Amino acid sequence: MARRIAITGLGAVSSLGLTAAANWDAAREGRSGIVAHRFDGGQHAPEPVTLPAALTADGYLGALEARYGRKVSGTVDRFAALGLAAAYEALENAGLIDHPALSQRTAIVLGHGQGGQETLEKSYERFFGLKSQRMHPATVPKIMVSGGVSAVAMQFGVHGPTFATSSACASSAHAIVQGAGLIQTGLADVAIVGGSEAIATPGCMSGWQAIQALAAETCRPFSKDRDGMVMGDGGAVLILEDLDHARARGAAILGEFLGAGMTSDAFHITQPSLEGTSGAMRQAVANGGLAEAEEVLISAHGTGTPLNDKNEAASIRAVFGDRAKAHPVIATKSAHGHLIGGSAALQAVIALQALKAGLAPPVLNYNEADPECDVEVVVGQVRPIKARHALVNAFAFGGLNVSMAFAA
Amino acid sequence: MKATESELLDLIAKEAIIDREKLTRDATLEDLGISSLDVISMLFELEEKYGVVIEEGDMPQMSTLGEMVDFLLGRINAEPAA
Repeated sequence: MARRIAITGLGAVSSLGLTAAANWDAAREGRSGIVAHRFDGGQHAPEPVTLPAALTADGYLGALEARYGRKVSGTVDRFAALGLAAAYEALENAGLIDHPALSQRTAIVLGHGQGGQETLEKSYERFFGLKSQRMHPATVPKIMVSGGVSAVAMQFGVHGPTFATSSACASSAHAIVQGAGLIQTGLADVAIVGGSEAIATPGCMSGWQAIQALAAETCRPFSKDRDGMVMGDGGAVLILEDLDHARARGAAILGEFLGAGMTSDAFHITQPSLEGTSGAMRQAVANGGLAEAEEVLISAHGTGTPLNDKNEAASIRAVFGDRAKAHPVIATKSAHGHLIGGSAALQAVIALQALKAGLAPPVLNYNEADPECDVEVVVGQVRPIKARHALVNAFAFGGLNVSMAFAA
Repeated sequence: MKATESELLDLIAKEAIIDREKLTRDATLEDLGISSLDVISMLFELEEKYGVVIEEGDMPQMSTLGEMVDFLLGRINAEPAA
């Protein structure tokens, strides 16, 4: 019989706050982390631009530093440090810091869309702008996409299977599923999974402007007047654990990972496909045993782009048919922005707390119903729910889709 | 741009990631746990802030923070800012 996967720890840092609980409180109360930011690339860059973004406040490593003394950020990029902060909270929450289980039978799988973008841009400025031959010796390890998992392994002394996943906006969803797989195949008893991202840099934002995916003002998922996503940054981590292992050490069980679906559209580099996204959801519903669930909380990918939300609503209708409207749909990117590789993990951290509280946080900035997004969008204020199960969607550029089923 | 000892200590605290109050002149680099990578990070910051290029190889053997601060201040304040 397959091993059951408990969730025994949660951690998150984002524009909504520096703990998983703070992120949940903000989502529940309908607070947004989106504000206007000035992106200034310096003397070799074009004129600065001001764009909405949702960025994590300074001090996110404070809890880790308070415990371990000397700070750890010197040789890691911001994306890795954000992941490290979330991992520390999740491990602390799970009671696993300095626990013997952490050393040999624990895996680390974190997802990131891009890796050390801030370091990359700084190093390019030195090389192309200042024409300097001297590069900081930590440039390569800070840029590499596996820098985050290595930092977590070194910080907490984890020797089990450790790697990063990268699939754009689905990176941390793939990471969570891979971590669960490592437990189910017996390669680990515990998996530190999730992801982080820090690509709200002047150069990268200019790329996002070019792809015309950014909202002019804010993120309005499923609203008729939506016009794009808002870049966020941060990290979120879940501790997955073999249920028997968790029970044996008396860990608090915060929820359960029930299963997932994963598909590839094989269609277009930026446009979604109904077949691909609904296919992933269908698999997650089947693998997670949610087909008979009376009410499922759906944490939508919900980027606020015209195409994603229309396609996602159609997917929900395709999967649930005439019962589609029985399931409340939330879209927390309207509060924390799009963390790209870190989004799915943050959505999972919020969804698990929503299930526990019996409350669905509202979709923010929603102005007008869109007939093409005819699903049960939770708008206005927090809504009581009966759901004991959640689906968390992540549909990435390049048509890489993941849908995950959780219980709490 | 001229540097002061206080500015330099702030920068060392940030780059070597050490509590500012531990940075006394007689503290040794070894006791403070300042690694060669910390020193290099510091030199990059000095270059960006003061426009002074100091290679790691330019630095003499020194054991205390005071010696390092004196050397760096000497170099920064001796050269015209870029």
